This record gives sequence, structure tokens and C-alpha cells, in this order.
Amino acid sequence: MSAPELVTVTVDGREIQVPKGTGMVETALSAGIEIPVFCYEPRIGPPLGACRMCLCEVEGMPKLQAACTLTAQDGMVVKTAAESPMAKDGQEAVLEFILLNHPLDCPDCDKGGECPLQDLTFRYGPGTTRMRFPKRTFDKPIPISPLIALDRERCILCYRCTRFSEGVAEDGQLVAKNRGAQSIITTFEDEPYRAHFSGNVTELCPVGALTSTAYRFKARPWEIQSVPSVCGLCPVGCNTWVTTREGKVVRILSRNHPEVDEGWICDKGRFAYGHLRSEDRIAKLLRRVRRRGFEEVGLGDAVADAEAGLRQAGDSVVVAFAGTETLEVADAISRIVRGTLGSDLALLPEEPIAALDAWRAPLSALRSMQVCLVLGDEPVVERAPGVDLWLRAARRAGAAIITVNPAGSVQVPPGSAAQIAAALASGQVSGDLVEVDRVLREASRVAIVWSEDDPSGGAHAAALASALGLGEGSAVYWLPRTPNGKGIADAWRAAGDGRPTQAPPAEGEIGALIVGGDAATADPRVLALAERARFVVTSAMFMSEVASWSHLLLPGAAPLERDGTVVNLEGRPQRQHRAVQGPGIDELVFWSELAGRFGIAVSPWPTFEGVGEQAALPARAAAATVQAPAPSPPADVPADGFALLTYRAAFSGREVDHTPALDFQRPLAEVELAHADASRLGLAPGDAVVVSSNGTSRELAVRVNRRLLGGVARIAADHAAGLGAQVEIARKA
Amino acid sequence: MSGPRRVLLEHAAEHDVTKLSEYEKVGGYESLRRALGMERQQLIDEFLASGIRGRGGAGFPMGRKASFLPKPEQTPKPIYLAVNADESEPGTFKDREIIFSNPHALVEGVVIASYAIGAKGAFIYIRGEYFTEYEILVAALEEARDRGLVGSNILGSGFSLTIVVHRGAGAYICGEETALLESLEGKRGQPRSKPPFPAIAGLYASPTLINNVETIATLPTILRLGGEEYGKLGVENSAGTRVFSLSGNVVNGGNYELELGTPLRTLIEDLGGGVADGRKLKAVIPGGSSVPVLTPDQIDTPLDFDSIAKAGSMLGSGAVIVIDDRCCMVQLALRVAQFYQHESCGKCTPCREGTRWMVQILRKIESGEASQNELDLLLNVCDRILGKCLCPLGDAAAMPVASYVAKFREEFQRHIDEGGCPFGGESSLEGILSPVDQHHQHVRARIDVPLPLADPTVAGRVAAS
Amino acid sequence: MAEVVDLYDQIQEIADRYPVRRSAVIPALQLAQKTYGWLPPHAFRQVADALELTPAYCQSVASFYDMFHLEPVGKCLIEICTNVSCALVGAQQVLEAFQDELGIHAGETTDDGEFTLRTIECAGGCGWGTVVAVDHRYRERVGAGDVRGIVRELKGLPPEDEDEIEEEAQ
Repeated sequence: MSAPELVTVTVDGREIQVPKGTGMVETALSAGIEIPVFCYEPRIGPPLGACRMCLCEVEGMPKLQAACTLTAQDGMVVKTAAESPMAKDGQEAVLEFILLNHPLDCPDCDKGGECPLQDLTFRYGPGTTRMRFPKRTFDKPIPISPLIALDRERCILCYRCTRFSEGVAEDGQLVAKNRGAQSIITTFEDEPYRAHFSGNVTELCPVGALTSTAYRFKARPWEIQSVPSVCGLCPVGCNTWVTTREGKVVRILSRNHPEVDEGWICDKGRFAYGHLRSEDRIAKLLRRVRRRGFEEVGLGDAVADAEAGLRQAGDSVVVAFAGTETLEVADAISRIVRGTLGSDLALLPEEPIAALDAWRAPLSALRSMQVCLVLGDEPVVERAPGVDLWLRAARRAGAAIITVNPAGSVQVPPGSAAQIAAALASGQVSGDLVEVDRVLREASRVAIVWSEDDPSGGAHAAALASALGLGEGSAVYWLPRTPNGKGIADAWRAAGDGRPTQAPPAEGEIGALIVGGDAATADPRVLALAERARFVVTSAMFMSEVASWSHLLLPGAAPLERDGTVVNLEGRPQRQHRAVQGPGIDELVFWSELAGRFGIAVSPWPTFEGVGEQAALPARAAAATVQAPAPSPPADVPADGFALLTYRAAFSGREVDHTPALDFQRPLAEVELAHADASRLGLAPGDAVVVSSNGTSRELAVRVNRRLLGGVARIAADHAAGLGAQVEIARKA
Repeated sequence: MSGPRRVLLEHAAEHDVTKLSEYEKVGGYESLRRALGMERQQLIDEFLASGIRGRGGAGFPMGRKASFLPKPEQTPKPIYLAVNADESEPGTFKDREIIFSNPHALVEGVVIASYAIGAKGAFIYIRGEYFTEYEILVAALEEARDRGLVGSNILGSGFSLTIVVHRGAGAYICGEETALLESLEGKRGQPRSKPPFPAIAGLYASPTLINNVETIATLPTILRLGGEEYGKLGVENSAGTRVFSLSGNVVNGGNYELELGTPLRTLIEDLGGGVADGRKLKAVIPGGSSVPVLTPDQIDTPLDFDSIAKAGSMLGSGAVIVIDDRCCMVQLALRVAQFYQHESCGKCTPCREGTRWMVQILRKIESGEASQNELDLLLNVCDRILGKCLCPLGDAAAMPVASYVAKFREEFQRHIDEGGCPFGGESSLEGILSPVDQHHQHVRARIDVPLPLADPTVAGRVAAS
Repeated sequence: MAEVVDLYDQIQEIADRYPVRRSAVIPALQLAQKTYGWLPPHAFRQVADALELTPAYCQSVASFYDMFHLEPVGKCLIEICTNVSCALVGAQQVLEAFQDELGIHAGETTDDGEFTLRTIECAGGCGWGTVVAVDHRYRERVGAGDVRGIVRELKGLPPEDEDEIEEEAQ
């Protein structure tokens, strides 16, 4: 790309050179001139020009102009309120109108102290009001969801929140109602604002109208501290600011990383910190004592126990990683087990192949794609919420988004992803795929997004990328299931000296088992191993069956309680910072001590190079030829009955369990059916049905999904426990 | 120059030209036949030569507006024509009459304009309240379609055009061109900030020409007479005829097509039969409720863009409202302000908050409870709205109200000095109940609008509570 | 309450007229309102489903426009223009006459659900005021003295004088 044309603009007498088309607010700011704004927020779409706070005088134009809607053109002469009496008059007029009905309840408003309206009024506003009529009042506050409160009289109708809802998250749930001075922000019929990214509106609101219920009246800005960190709840790794007060997390805000999250975080990342202060956490280092349960041990004894248990096991040590461990902890464990004990036995949450790194790209690259091909049955928004926002941004920027799954733009039976990838790679396609194949081959910038558990570790995706000849400008985003699954796989691989991972033996005693975190304790395979292990050491935040089988229990730390590095789905190592002290000892200190016993030097604090406050993405690896395994066949869509399709909802799991305010975000007890299937069965949306298979049955409500493939019943995993691959559906008697 | 000059509504009085056969008998669709044989640019040149200015309110030269659009070969995007039939400016009812009595002129004009700009799709946005006119227009369109005058390969020319008649749903602001586009796109009708102008990025972000019904319906006439000949009608800078809507305290209200430049007096006295009930003329609103008011001494002002502007007002939509001496100007100001408060879209701050504040202050003045500085405050609020808003609606509220105070200040002053309306309940606008004062069913919030009143005659007097 | 009527196919037909389907929101809402008399929550759900929008979006759009009813209205909607031109020629007296005849205030519906009375802004009949729209059909040059007759007509009663004649005959 050629360098952008530079133009010269004069703002308040100062000549400024900027690329042509730069917004006037940014142009002025580049010379240190502030043009105050309320509605302007470039991340939520084109400028609106609604609040009029940024009125400026532009030479040659008779009327004042909203600076936010102007772009730099050569020779433009702009005067802000600082220099132009006309603009100053305009700005004063606007601020008077904005404040006309705005209550002066700053002392008990949560926004007070960090409020743009308060700040701009202080800097530019009138000291008095000429409003002699009672201000507009509303019922207050209105919960627009269990997470967000709305104080309507504070609202200045900048439409930031509704533009976010419509134009960024595209959930279409938070809207303006009525007209003129009676306009209000609302949801449909007082239903809660139920969407993955709803909490962002509390940050976008430039006044105290939309506030977080959890943070309401909890702290004043001068009592809090902010710690930069990275969300540890999914593989996107959104950057965050963690607000703490008196050693407790009271709020999580976004910390804009333009390549990763653009300043948006999902409601799980924002609100799911209730588990940190949960009563039932494992708070101490514990050792199991026969018949007496657990007793507390000191660090030295614990390390000695672990050393003994592992040395006894030798090369019969199995590691069950959770996918939440930091790179440092995973590195320490891997080096002990593979390097010293010589065991290659592990259960990894995922094993992405190294070849994928040849198509590594920042998530923000999605926006410049021509085509995004999304393969896999798990909704992207459930598996890696932030990626969904990037895909929407890509579509708005003109990309074709092709989703191939049972509810996609191309509908295929469940479990077809590998087969589709293989077909597209070979070019042997039929039906809807002919058009997909054409579009893919004609485009020069293609992203492949893989959104389901993939035993091939991305081999199918890589093979397709390779077959399509995807190069510079294209990308593959293989979505891991766990927050640091990719980093852990890398650490494990690095310690293995080229040896392949071995699956744990299917039966017989094993020497020792290391369980890395709570997610692993929930895995039935891990429980089976624990029952057969002579020595089990588990790191977990909460008790579980696996934990109770353990000989040594390390109190697990939540991502907000530890320092360490995690690698997100892009392959970007990012630093998590300890925002609050966890209840137990630092896990890394334990593993570092233990490694020392095995003669391995592991730093007790993170030393991983190359991660900063805004971490960069490592360069791409060289392209390699990829051989994908033969794809397994997709699920049968039965002639009668339904093929069951389940997905893991983002709003599920331990963190959500401990945050009651997030309950309403959990998937509803519903079964999604194709329109034709519902009609055939005489079922209307909301009708109660019984979904059953092999003697297990669940009562669910019908949801008609006009995009779902016929013969498929889609149910969130939370509501599908015990159901088999094929189910019967009947109206509830 | 005096008396009516009918070119647009020439035949509508004598013939039922709503029927295609009758319309054709008087030369209907001849202009279209001629147009289809011409080059696009030739047509635009004819429009330019005619000097026709937009009949909606802003008065922008139509030919120039059309020439701002990229040519079909210069853009990968489709080009659209949008016809503004959302006539809502108080006092205006000419487009309704044109559609009612001469719908084929509009249809013919739409095809001609679409051909000229290379549009393959045209939308007529008709205000939702005009239900009868909608049916007439749709019927005319059906007839035209059946005869191959609209649709694919029109009259064998190879030119194809789809016309969709789209009904609005009750919002004055949708008469503003970008709000109209938003509404047509299925959104709340809130104006867009310009640039980009619709000629570059209009409907569905494609180049779009937007013109008023009367402008488009005049195109067949322009082609019939020839642009230059049409340009000879009227006066300099104001070519042609306009359909003036005459209403208020006048004997014969109605629509009158006149050559531009005809004196206001001719319209009111000769055609309108003068002020009704033998009353005295007090004021005239010359271009719809959004323009500054004229006083009786200005009744000889010619009705053309420049002369009206020189008189301190605007020709606007050509709606002339006659006001007799029974009307309290404070009540008029209140009623006009209430209208704009009701119609403010709520997007930009000065209009949304300012129109509401104006109404609050005016109510207080009207009820005789205001202090002297509140009259100054009113003027200052008008001034603070003027020129600060996203679209012209805010100005449309501020300008007339400021003009009433300027020209009838003594009447405002008496409300303050005498603690009430000097008309003592005898004003023609006494107690008039506006929609903003009606109980708002769909707002559950507590707002300061008075609830249904035991005595509705005092509606205009209730101050904010 | 009226039965839920399947509007899906009709809305698709409307949407097909436009290059972008969202343009069909207003006509689809008009169809729903014609079907149900007003726009109940399920109407928004239906329109949203057919056009792949959200009910919140559809309600947001509807609430912007005066002609959409977000609350039930009477079977017959009587609207009086009280804007300047009509106001100058006695719109308030016409309104009051309707209020007296119907026994309700502007903005209200009669207890029997038959009539809703409301004032509206300029209807575009200014030269022939006062304009009264009955179910969107205009009656022009309406004076306060005409109101009794109009209400009788809308109630399906014969014109008053004939009524009296009948009474006399009995």
C-alpha cells in the first residue's frame, strides 16, 4: 500500500499535517488541541453528529460544523471554541442544553469522578443554570438486566449504547424508543438486555445513566486501584483493567488492545469474578491423611511429598492439563515430567499443530478479509466470544462470512467440518459447496476459523489453507477450547525433545497423576486416572471428586490472582498480572521449588520475554506441508427422530456458577428445531416438549430456528446431559 | 403578472385525469415518449434551462441537484430516485392535491427523472396519513404498468424502471431528505449528518436524487413547453409556477397554481376572497409554519424566492397561512413550538432539549406567569438553537417564534405586564390542545406533560408541573 | 385478544419489493397493525422473525411514528387536526364537541372500546379546516355543529332529524 496522502489543516492557527480523511477530532488532538465530544466514538461506527458538543467554525462555511463529522481536507481552516467566539457560543449553548434536564446528583452518582460530562462541564460549562422548570424525571433506577442499571434522567441520548448494540455486537436489543424529548433507551417489553457483550454499554456511557449493578455504590474513584491484566476465561485473551478496592476485585473494565479486542469484553470476562471470594475455595496446601481427610501442610513438606510421589512413579507420571495453567507453570511441569522423569504421558486439552503458525495473524486482520470461512459446529460466540465481534466487523467491512454448520449459511449435518475442509481442499465439491469453493479460490484474503474441538489439532484447517495457497493477507484462526491450551501445548512440546505425546494407558495402575486445574478435574477421564494412580497431585480452586482422590492439593489461583503468561488463540503471549492476593500460596512458587528438587531451574516469577502491557504477536512460521488425517464421517441425520447437536455455552462453568447475576445469561432450557420440523410436529415457539433418548429425557421449550438443518435438534450442553446422539421429540403430555 | 396560471394542474379541473385514458387525451405521457428518445444529459440540460427550483421547501435548483449524481457508468452502485411525498409542513397540502387530481403527472415525471439520472429503481415516499391519495397513486401506477409505461423495457426503449410506493407512518421529520432515506431503509426517521450528500451516498449508500412531488410532477410540463420556455414563466431566480396552499382565516382556502412572482395580495384577496368574517388581517405566514411571519404592510410582496427573502421570510413550501386579528400571537408561538417539539426526532441535543424548553417558557408567558427576563430567555434559547442543529428542524422552531416576538413584541409584553392573555379568552387559538399536551400512552415515564384535563379549554395554560 | 395470524409469507412478499429487506419494516408493521388493530408484543416478534431483526428493533422503529399504536385503540379512530390552520378556524371547538359527544378526553378510548379520540398535527387539509380523520379518511370543513351528526353516523344511527320523525310517528 502506498503512503497515505498528507494534507495540511489549520486548527486554531496551528498548521497540522495528517493523512487526508483523518477525523477532525483526531487531527486537532494530534496538535494537542482538545475538541470535546460525547456521542463521538469511532469504535462504534461512523460519526453521528448528534450531541453537537464538538461544534467548530470552519472557514468558508456559514454555520458551525460538528467536528466529529469532518475529515481533514487540504487547506481546511478550523477554529475551535478556544479561538472562535461563534464556536464558543455554540459549545456553551450545547452544554446548557445537555445539562438542562440532567440531574446534578454527582455526589451519589457512580460515574462521579470518572464522568466525561462532569469533566467537560467543569472545563467548559456554565457555572449556573437558567433552567427554572422541574427537570424531567423517570422511575429510577431501571434494571435493564440483572447486570446493568439505567438511570434515565441522567441519559443525554448520545446513542452510544444503542449504536454498540446495533452496530458492534449486532444484538439489536438495546434501542431508543419514542421520539424527541420523550426518547428513552430501553429493551423490548422490559425483557432483560441478554447478550454476550451487554456490559460494554456501561463503559461507553459518557454519563452515569448505564451503570454496572455489581459496582453500584461500591467504591469512589479515589479509593480504587487499577491493575492491567488479561482475561483468563477464554482463548481470546481480552486485555482488561481490574479495579480493586481494599484487596478485592470490584470491577473489570476493558483495556483496548486494537489487535485483540478493540476494547470490548464479554459479560463473562467482565462480571464473572464472584468465584474469587467464594467460601468453598481450597485455601490451603493440603495433604490427604488416611481416614482423616485432609490436613494443612507447609510448602516444604508439600514439595517433599510431591518429589517423593513423582520419583516413585518414574516414567509412569501422567499430566492432565486443564488449559488454564500459565505458560510458566506448564513449562515447569513439562520439564519435570518430560525432561527429568522421562514420561510423555499427558492429557492435553488440545494439541494444535505447529504448522498452523504459518497462518498466524492478529484477530484485527479479520476486518480486512474478503472471505471468512467458519467451520465447526460450535457457535463462535460461545467458544471465543471476542472472535464473533471481529467476524461481524469483517462482514460490515464487506467480507463474505460463510458459516458451514447445521445452522450456518451453508447447512450441513453435525460433525461435518473435517469432511468439508477435505472436500474444499481437494476441490471435489458439490451442492452449496461449489459456490463456496469458487468464492474461496477467487479471493486473495481469506480467513479460516475453526470452531469446535478438533482431534486433528488443526491439521484439516492447515491442509485447506495450504491447498488454497493462502498466503500473506490470509489467516487461520483455530479456536482452542481453553484459555491457554495453545501455550500449554507449546510448553509441553518444547520439553519433549521431539518425542510425541503418549496417551495414558487405558488400564492398570499408574505411578502418579498431576492435575493442573479445575477444568481437568471435571474430565471423567481424569477421574478414571486418579482412581488408578498411586500418587495424585492436584491444583484446584474447588473440591471435586478428583480433588478428593488427591494426595496433595494445591490451592489454585484464578487468573486475577496470579502473575504469568498465557498464549491466546492467535498465538500471542500475554501477561496476566496479579490484581488481588489469592487465598493460597503461589502455584508457580510450588512448581519452582519442586523443579529445583529435580535439578531444574525454574524462576518463581514470570520471566517470559516479549510480553508487555500490549503484547505483540510473534512473526509467522514458515509454511510447511500438512497432511491431514482422513476425516471421520459426519453424524447421521435420522429419517425419524433427530440428530442431537450440543454446544458448550460461554455462560456456563464454575465462574458463572459463582456469579448469580449472570444466571439470566445462561442458555435457556430450549431445544432448537428447524421451522419445517416444528411445523410437521405442530409445535410453536415456547411449546413444551420432551426430548429423550435411551431412557433419559429432558423437558425443554421449543425454539424455532429458521436457519437450522432439518432433522437436527440443537440444545445447549447444560440442558442435554445424558442425551445420546439421536433423540426423540414429543409434545409434553 | 396576475391571476392563476395553470400548467401543472391545467387539465385537472376539467377532466378526470386520474384515469390514464383521460390523461393521455390531454397529452399525457407525450413528454415521456420524447424523453426516451433523448440523451440523458439533454434531459438534465432541459431541467437546468427551465430554472426549476425544488418545490419542497429548500428551493435548490433541481437540474443542478440531478447533475451532482454520478453517471451510471461512473459508479458500480445502483442509482435511485426518491420522491418526497411526505408533505407535512403545517399549512401545506399541495402535493396531496397533485396526487389526488393528477397522479399520472407524478408517475410520468418519475419515469422521466429516473431515465435522466439512470435510475432503475424509484421510491415514492408518501406520508402515511394520505391513505386515499396512496390508493389513487397506486391505481395510476398499476394502469401505467399495464400499458408498459412503467416496468421493464418502457415503450420499447430498453429502459426499465421499478417504482415502489412506500407509505410513511406519521413523522414530520421524514420530509427531511436524509430522514426520509433512513425511514425508507426501515429505520427511525432521524436525519443523517451531511456530507456525504444523498447524491453520492443516499438510499442504501447509493447515489440518490430526492425531489418533491411537485418538482417531479412538473417535469412533463417542462419537456412539453421546453426548458427555456418554462423558464420564461415566473420571474428571475424563480422560474415557473407553484401550487400555493392557502389556509387560515381566509374565505376561499385551497390550492392555487400561480406564476412565481404573483403578489401575495392577489392570492389572498383576489383568489382567496380576502380575510374571512370581515376581520382584519393581522399576519401572514408565507411558506409553511417554519418561516418568519409577515405583517399586513408586506401584503404586496411578490411570491418568489428573492422577494420573500427580502421581506425577511422564506417561500418555503408555498403554504400561505392567513391570520386575522382574533389570534393571540403568543398562543400562535406556543402552538407552533409545540408542533416542533412533537416532531423533533430526538437525535441532536439543541433541537430535542431546546424545543421542549421553548414550549415550557412560552406556556409560562402565555399564562401570564413569566417574568421579563423570561421573554429575553426565550429569544436567547431561539438563538442558541439556530444554526446549531443537525438538520433544519431546530431552526424551523426557532425562526418563526423569534419572528413573532420581533414583530409582535408588544403583545408578548402585555402577557407579562397584565399577567395573562390580553384577549381574555377570546383568541381564536384559546385553549387549543396540541398532541404534546395529550396524554402520552406509550411513555410510562413521568413526564411533565399535563395529563388529560378536566377542562380541556385550559390545556394551553398548564405550566410544567 | 385477536388470534395470532401467520404473517410470515405476506411479509416476505413485501420484503421482496425492496433491494434491502429491512426496508419492509414499516410496511410489515402496517400489515400487523391492520391485522390486530394495534401492535401487541407478539406483532413485533412476528415482524422481527420474518425480517431477521429483533423485536426491540421493530418496536423502536414503530415508537418513532405517530400512526403506530403501541397500546390498544378503539375500533374507530377519530383524529382532529389542531395545528395552526385548523386551530385558526375552530379546531378546538370541534375537538370539544367530539369530547362531549363521546364522553372522553382527547387521548382516550371509550369504555366500550368503540372510539379513540385524539388530536394530531397537521394532516394536510389546511385550506379546508377543520380536518377530522376517521380511520384515516379525511372529513374536511368540519365545524363544531357537524360533530353530533358524524358521531351518530359512526355509531350507525340514522341522522338525528329522521330519528325524531320516527319517534313522532310512533
